[in-house]
Amino acid sequence: MEGRGSAVNTTASRPVTRRSKSYGRSCVEAPSYFWQTPGHLTVLKIPTSRGAARSQLITNKVDPEHIALLVKNEWKLSYVTPLHHFRHTQLKSYSKHLAAFIAAEKQQGVAVEVGLEVGFKVTFTAVLGLAETDEDAETVFIQIQSKPVFAAAADAPKVVWRGWLTCVNGDPEYLRSLPPDFVSLPLFCTSGPESLTTLVKSWFERAFDCNFGSLALNSTTLNWLAALWTGCHSTCNIRYLKLAWSLPSQPPLDVSYTVNPQDAWELWNSIHPEESTDDKIDIKEVQSFINGLETHFFRHFKIYLSAGTLVKVSTALGSAHLDGKLKIGNSDYITTLLTLLTESALLKMPT
Amino acid sequence: MDAQATSVLNRIIRRIPNKNIENLLKKWNSLSADQLRALDYTRPKWMIVEHVINFCEENRLNLKHITNLEMIYHIENPDQGTWHACQLAEAQDDAVCVELTQFKEQFKLSNPTKLFFHLRIQSSKHEDEAIWIRIAWGDNFSKPNHLKPTYVVHHLHTSYVFISNLMAKHKIFLCQALVIATKHGSIKDGHLSTRSLTAMRDLLLRHYQQVFPNAHSRIPQERKTLSSHPCIGKEHSDHEEMRHQMSCEAFGHSPSPKLETAVYRLETRYRGNGNHTLSDREEFFRGVVRFSSSSLLDSLRHCVASGMAEGPVTPLLSAITQRGRNYFVITDKGPGVSSQASAPRA
Repeated sequence: MEGRGSAVNTTASRPVTRRSKSYGRSCVEAPSYFWQTPGHLTVLKIPTSRGAARSQLITNKVDPEHIALLVKNEWKLSYVTPLHHFRHTQLKSYSKHLAAFIAAEKQQGVAVEVGLEVGFKVTFTAVLGLAETDEDAETVFIQIQSKPVFAAAADAPKVVWRGWLTCVNGDPEYLRSLPPDFVSLPLFCTSGPESLTTLVKSWFERAFDCNFGSLALNSTTLNWLAALWTGCHSTCNIRYLKLAWSLPSQPPLDVSYTVNPQDAWELWNSIHPEESTDDKIDIKEVQSFINGLETHFFRHFKIYLSAGTLVKVSTALGSAHLDGKLKIGNSDYITTLLTLLTESALLKMPT
Repeated sequence: MDAQATSVLNRIIRRIPNKNIENLLKKWNSLSADQLRALDYTRPKWMIVEHVINFCEENRLNLKHITNLEMIYHIENPDQGTWHACQLAEAQDDAVCVELTQFKEQFKLSNPTKLFFHLRIQSSKHEDEAIWIRIAWGDNFSKPNHLKPTYVVHHLHTSYVFISNLMAKHKIFLCQALVIATKHGSIKDGHLSTRSLTAMRDLLLRHYQQVFPNAHSRIPQERKTLSSHPCIGKEHSDHEEMRHQMSCEAFGHSPSPKLETAVYRLETRYRGNGNHTLSDREEFFRGVVRFSSSSLLDSLRHCVASGMAEGPVTPLLSAITQRGRNYFVITDKGPGVSSQASAPRA
């Protein structure tokens, strides 16, 4: 009887199996892209089509005072990973903690003088109504006011820093896949001195075990904004469509092309007719729109705008800059804008 | 010294960095050597201003001297504020014979009795022999305002006049005076405005290195020659040279006058990619294009030389140098004009 081919496993012919030493994690598994962070069990897809911008009288859903705050300033954008154990019911205690943290950090290295008040008052407010789907968490607005050291009682404290965390129409699969302790508010907008922004971020990082990163918009997002905003012209006068490119010549050349809004709208309408039953706008249509403008420019000046970068898009509805700066002009279309930005934030987050 | 004189003096001294104040005061020649030596330029500005005001009062200087100082400051630092170019037209036969004294006389005479303006005319002592005019406007009811003077620069026997800080309501008087003093028939807007007077002057008076199309010579390129290894050959050197030649013909050789912006108002029909109902429209696709850079001509030249702009250089861009303007309104001249995109060069 030959050993080879026998079905009986003798010690000699047993295949050698590698024992996986389990130190809590399997070392033999191929390094998975996803095993580090809980929640990213689904791959986020970059959407190639989205609904047209719809006007919403947002003031029906959201307190107009809050909306006024959002529309007033220029915001610097960042993304933030999901927050661990963040509770919308604990906002008051967060306000106190953050105020204390800022006071402590500002006093580091400075001799503590008895009686000298380093006055910072922090307010966390929940802005209800911006969230669109059931999975979206409610927006949180943070305001830091400084109490001047020798202020009279009647002096109103001055607001020195504002920020807000939001999630609008976030990818539902992703949000559902998060473990229950995590809240995702991926878009963080700030306005105010950089030193305070850094302090707020470090407090969040320590308190909720999250990570911040700057959200630079890419040219695709800017292209979407240009098309979406132009499409709104029939319902809300956008007053102008201004696109700014930067060409890498020496010295760098800035080209800004301000298109008459009616003409821009007619161009967009010829690509994506308004009456079309399909409410979805495809990325190809957006690209065709931008290409049309670039080609019209080329026919006149023979300069390839594609050699440069689209840096800024602005209309009366708002403006967005490649560096991640945002200005909201009109609150009626804020939902569409925030949806786009929430998406960018979710995509930018490290998986 | 009255209040206006002190405020003008204050403003001048505050603008200049401390190290340049000494030179300016020396050129002004209205303070004695002792006084100049007594000034300490390391002190804070407000202290220097106070000392200078005191010295002026000691020397009994008045507004006239102060306006002289301001003028000297502007002649030495011409690249401030916004300058606009105007062009004189319809020269009379004896326009070429106008001399400085004649110009001054005629200009002063043209001051209509209803409007009182304080005038100061002098020839800049630089080689360019330009005439500088400072005008502080007033009217029947108020004294001339010295805090907002208009400056006018004219090079005799050229047809250009450069103006800074002129209000619309005074424009007609100034134009009238200029036209009479230079013996021309009319003056019109030159459609050129920059922050730098030097750039404007160099561009219009062609004080830069122009390149003319020439079949034989090629301009040597002053590129930083990367140490060219004998085994490395550039495939497209011919094309590069041709592009370089084109760019220099259109925008001049470096260094070019430092223009900062060019604005084009487009009122032409849509010429985007075909297939759209828009191309058949009769209406114009309106828009405004604005180019800006720290040195516009250098940027444009680099764009053409590097291939970011397709050659031959479109007349819209070369008109900046050829016609000396930076504001254009572009319209479709007619059915004959249809700029086809030229095939990209291989």
